Amino acid sequence: MSQKNRLPSGGRINRSKPLSFAYNGKHFQGFEGDTLASAMLANGIDVVGRSFKYSRPRGIVAAGAEEPNAIMQLGATEATQIPNVRATQQELYEGLVSGAVNGWPSVDTDVMGLVGKVGGTMMPPGFYYKTFMFPQSMWGTYEKFIRKAAGLGRSSLEHDPDTYEKVNQFCDVLVVGAGPAGLAAALTAARAGARVILADEQSEFGGSLLSSKETLDGEPAAAWVKNTVVELTSYRDVLLLPRATVNGYHDHNFLTIHERCTDHIADSAPLGQARQRLHRVRAKWVVLATGAHERPLVFGNNDVPGSMLASAVSTYINRYGVVPGSELVVMTTNDGGYQAAFDWLAAGRKVVAIVDTRQNPQGECVAKAVGLGLRVITGAAVIEVFGTKRVSGVAVAPISDDGSRVTGAVSRLSADTVASSGGWSPVVHLAGHTGSRPIWREDILGFVPGETVEKRLTAGAINGEYTTAGAIAQGIDAGRKALAELGKKPIDVNVPATVHVELDSPMALFHVPHTKRTAQAPKQFVDLQNDVTAAGIELACREGYESIEHVKRYTALGFGTDQGKLGNINGMAITANALGKSIPETGTTIFRPNYTPVTFGAIVGRDRGELFDPKRYTAMHAWHVEHGAKFEDVGQWKRPWYFPKPGESMQQALDRECLATRTSVGILDASTLGKIDIQGKDAREFLGRVYTNAWAKLAVGKCRYGLMCGEDGMVFDDGVTSCLGENHFIMTTTTGGAARVYEWLELYHQTEWPELEVYFNTVTDHWSTMTISGPNSRKLLAELTDADVSAENFGYMDWREMKVAGVPARVFRISFTGELSFEINVQANFGLHVWEKLFEQGAKYDLTPYGTETMHILRAEKGFIIAGQDTDGSVHPYDLGMGWAVAQQKPFSFIGKRGMAREDCVREDRKQLVGLKTSDPSVVLPEGAQGVFDPGAPIPMPMVGHITSSYWSANLGRSIAMGLVKGGLSRMGEKVYYPLADGRVIEAEICSPVFLDPKGERQNV
Amino acid sequence: MSDINHAVAIMDQVPSADAEVRGESPLHHVGLAAIASQTLPQAAGVIFRELGLLGHLTLRVSADNAALIKTAQTVLGAPLPLSPLSSVQQGDLVIRWISPDEWLMTLPNTQVFELESQFREKMDGHYSLVNGSGGLTVFALRGARVVDMLKKSIPVDLHDTEFPVGKVVSTVFAKTGAVVRRTGETEFELVVRRSFADYIWLWIQSASQEYGLAVEH
Repeated sequence: MSQKNRLPSGGRINRSKPLSFAYNGKHFQGFEGDTLASAMLANGIDVVGRSFKYSRPRGIVAAGAEEPNAIMQLGATEATQIPNVRATQQELYEGLVSGAVNGWPSVDTDVMGLVGKVGGTMMPPGFYYKTFMFPQSMWGTYEKFIRKAAGLGRSSLEHDPDTYEKVNQFCDVLVVGAGPAGLAAALTAARAGARVILADEQSEFGGSLLSSKETLDGEPAAAWVKNTVVELTSYRDVLLLPRATVNGYHDHNFLTIHERCTDHIADSAPLGQARQRLHRVRAKWVVLATGAHERPLVFGNNDVPGSMLASAVSTYINRYGVVPGSELVVMTTNDGGYQAAFDWLAAGRKVVAIVDTRQNPQGECVAKAVGLGLRVITGAAVIEVFGTKRVSGVAVAPISDDGSRVTGAVSRLSADTVASSGGWSPVVHLAGHTGSRPIWREDILGFVPGETVEKRLTAGAINGEYTTAGAIAQGIDAGRKALAELGKKPIDVNVPATVHVELDSPMALFHVPHTKRTAQAPKQFVDLQNDVTAAGIELACREGYESIEHVKRYTALGFGTDQGKLGNINGMAITANALGKSIPETGTTIFRPNYTPVTFGAIVGRDRGELFDPKRYTAMHAWHVEHGAKFEDVGQWKRPWYFPKPGESMQQALDRECLATRTSVGILDASTLGKIDIQGKDAREFLGRVYTNAWAKLAVGKCRYGLMCGEDGMVFDDGVTSCLGENHFIMTTTTGGAARVYEWLELYHQTEWPELEVYFNTVTDHWSTMTISGPNSRKLLAELTDADVSAENFGYMDWREMKVAGVPARVFRISFTGELSFEINVQANFGLHVWEKLFEQGAKYDLTPYGTETMHILRAEKGFIIAGQDTDGSVHPYDLGMGWAVAQQKPFSFIGKRGMAREDCVREDRKQLVGLKTSDPSVVLPEGAQGVFDPGAPIPMPMVGHITSSYWSANLGRSIAMGLVKGGLSRMGEKVYYPLADGRVIEAEICSPVFLDPKGERQNV
Repeated sequence: MSDINHAVAIMDQVPSADAEVRGESPLHHVGLAAIASQTLPQAAGVIFRELGLLGHLTLRVSADNAALIKTAQTVLGAPLPLSPLSSVQQGDLVIRWISPDEWLMTLPNTQVFELESQFREKMDGHYSLVNGSGGLTVFALRGARVVDMLKKSIPVDLHDTEFPVGKVVSTVFAKTGAVVRRTGETEFELVVRRSFADYIWLWIQSASQEYGLAVEH
């Protein structure tokens, strides 16, 4: 198809590089330098989507980030799908595939269009809230339908092939926006040697100058832009980021920039390149030079394709060489709107009329228009547009001085394009992100940034300074202020000479009147993306909404990805009018990050797949993998869970591992247990305060089990601590609790007992820990060491230093299985060596590796608890039947002592940990099952506690369980019943949790 | 072997040479030597090397305790870096400031026990010296794009005015931590924990992809 709206020359496009693209399945051509929007307009594509609520056909309105309608689904393949891309921001590339996100089944024939026609009553403002409330049960149904019809785009169902980066940046000055003000600010700061980041959402720097016919120092504006960029490029500490939208301005000058590195090249990044980067910037100073968005006028059917912003018309003509129509009517409240007519005329197309809402405008532009022979209708407005999928004509009528009513006869003009300008709205979004409220300025009819606690400056159109020379001067000034604060000496930057144009004052007009009342008039759209009309806002006000924040939520004004870029000011003004208040009294809503949508890819960066979360490995991990281990996540650690042999089920493997350990010898990689080295003359005292039991008399060479409680007296960790020297201990913690315990010790030391001379150091990773357990463990150890490991010389709960397989080791004779057991610790660099030597030597004993599951079973057979499994923060030592581990008589108190003495903690019927034997020994209770004393009780049955640990014990040939039961310790022999979700009720008898070897003879041999 | 009845137990943890024990660094399983033979440092923006099997000692002592600090410096034969975020390098010995009362030292693993013994002999008072050699490793990074790669990994300003050669920070590295020291204009070293070494290695590979990664061994 030919580019019927493309001019033969002009614009910043490269006509020698045609690019083909697809839109809704049809193929078109544009040029290098086009945006998708300019290429669509060049090809005469009018309808680019269907509206959110009423499903009305919509066309391109703007030329930048403020575009409300042309929101595209991009991607040639499933894997490269991206929703919600503005066609006005997407550069064209060869082979681009796009489709409208709205419009089901297609934008041209939309079944929702029928709904939309009656939509005024079907979907009034507050639709979501009303639907959600009446009746709530229908919400799911409505939502499905609405979401599909509204077409919010979709993400890919496949793996995204691209790489996304997150980058931390630091700078003296971050300049947001590279228009005249931003370029001048960046140049001023950079010349003085400041570290500068300049970010702009456009593909090229220059901002408004890219589509301007102005001259600077007698040269085209583009030349000044080019020279400035060249100079900036020469500075080492300047980072220039085109195609980079500053999306969020957070507290303490932390800003995020979404840079699209290759989105302009293809729908997937070239090999080895990042597609997008999310820059996380800490800036000492921020200069916001974000410019202004032109404000559209609100009039009847102002959403019909062909209704555009006046400045956007100029931009398409001047920057892209595209005239988006044939016959233009301009409606303006200010002198700026005239430029669209001049550009249109210069492009050789017909200007039907300039409708100026002011009664007697006097600026130079008016005179120029008259001089060019253009028809200027003053004191009038376009009150309504005709047409459905494209403007076919307009209704023009005279209006009153204040713009509140139509004062005369309506006449009809033929036109296919209406360019409107209601003045300019400074882009204050970022300025508002940190909570700063914008301030209304009557002289420019716009909100400007309010006060801030951030180190923030503003320059140019964001301050309502709309002349190029003025913007540049403000940019230089902002740069100098930042330099002064930074203590840097500025070097002069000149303001180039511009041609001054005498302007008349603009008219405040936020809602063009119609001959009919607002509610009866054709829809007058305020927020095109969210289908909010003037009538809807007035209705909300009539329904009693008085706060602009409530009106926003009720009508959806400025919601979602739009963030009120075009509609907010008009909406607030209409609200103010309906409420009989002024605009400053009504105020603005709060703008929030993000300014425009950011892809999930950029937010996630490389924290995905293998790198989603760190996986921690022990020194023996490779061995475990080679030997077929299944792994369990414990904290971030990958621990062997069990080691199935070929063909074995999990239970078969566990049975084998359990039996082997009790009959010969098993081995566990216990390296993941937390280990904390404690040194200092008060180490022993400190232990006595953080553990519940006594440490004063633990001799060098001895080990002791300890319980650790919070202030509330509840157990939160446990482990064995050994006395290595008079002032030296090594504490072990649970695998998952290591960091918490370490912080706990530091917390108490630093805040409560700084006078105690003690230092803590984490040595978890330093030691490889391997536990050999079982009747043959001593023989195995003896064969690998010269040390005397006999029962006489190496008793239970002792530790010894020795060499094991040639490696210096500390060996602890402690047991979590109830078997004769040795925990061998060597520097982790030599862990695998020792591990392998143990297997070489242990082959004759059938040394059997086991994982966490067998460890759990073996300890449960002995009734040993696991903190965090058998405890849940509500269990104190006495509840566990472990009062023996509480030394109430210690001279200094210990953490939890008072907590566990509280009234509720000494109740008789607290839930207490007991053993449970099912009446049918073959049934294994599910962990988490809730017990009741009376299975016949009416529902809800009084629950008496849950199963915390439950296993099949191959050694005992039956199931075993531990659980909390109300008053359980005094209910030995009584029955508890566990009604399950599947209808079964499992009967169990309360017993001691020590199922095996109650006297502890096996570990003490 | 030391006397078990000392106030603090120390032990020569390194097997004697004749024991024929192979030591394995945290990245042993990666096979860096084989990778090194297939990569070209000249073409890479980031060049990686694991300095495994070093001795790592953590000294905790109050910086206000002038007598102990003095003794420590005598034993070390090097000044302790007392100003925050600084380091001292003297031959094989590197001392990194970690916190107001903490220093991380690296030295050949075979010299650790001797140094520990010297400390126990000479230092009298409240301090701790802990051997962490098995739990830590060092990644040396160099190359024209090392700073760019690190910018993706740590939230610290790496500009040479803010992060000069010799500066040390203990900081977040991706989702774990590292002690980062600048060793040259385009050279850094990371001290990382053994169990997280594989994660950081995977991260560095991924984050270096766009610059090209080479391995030295």
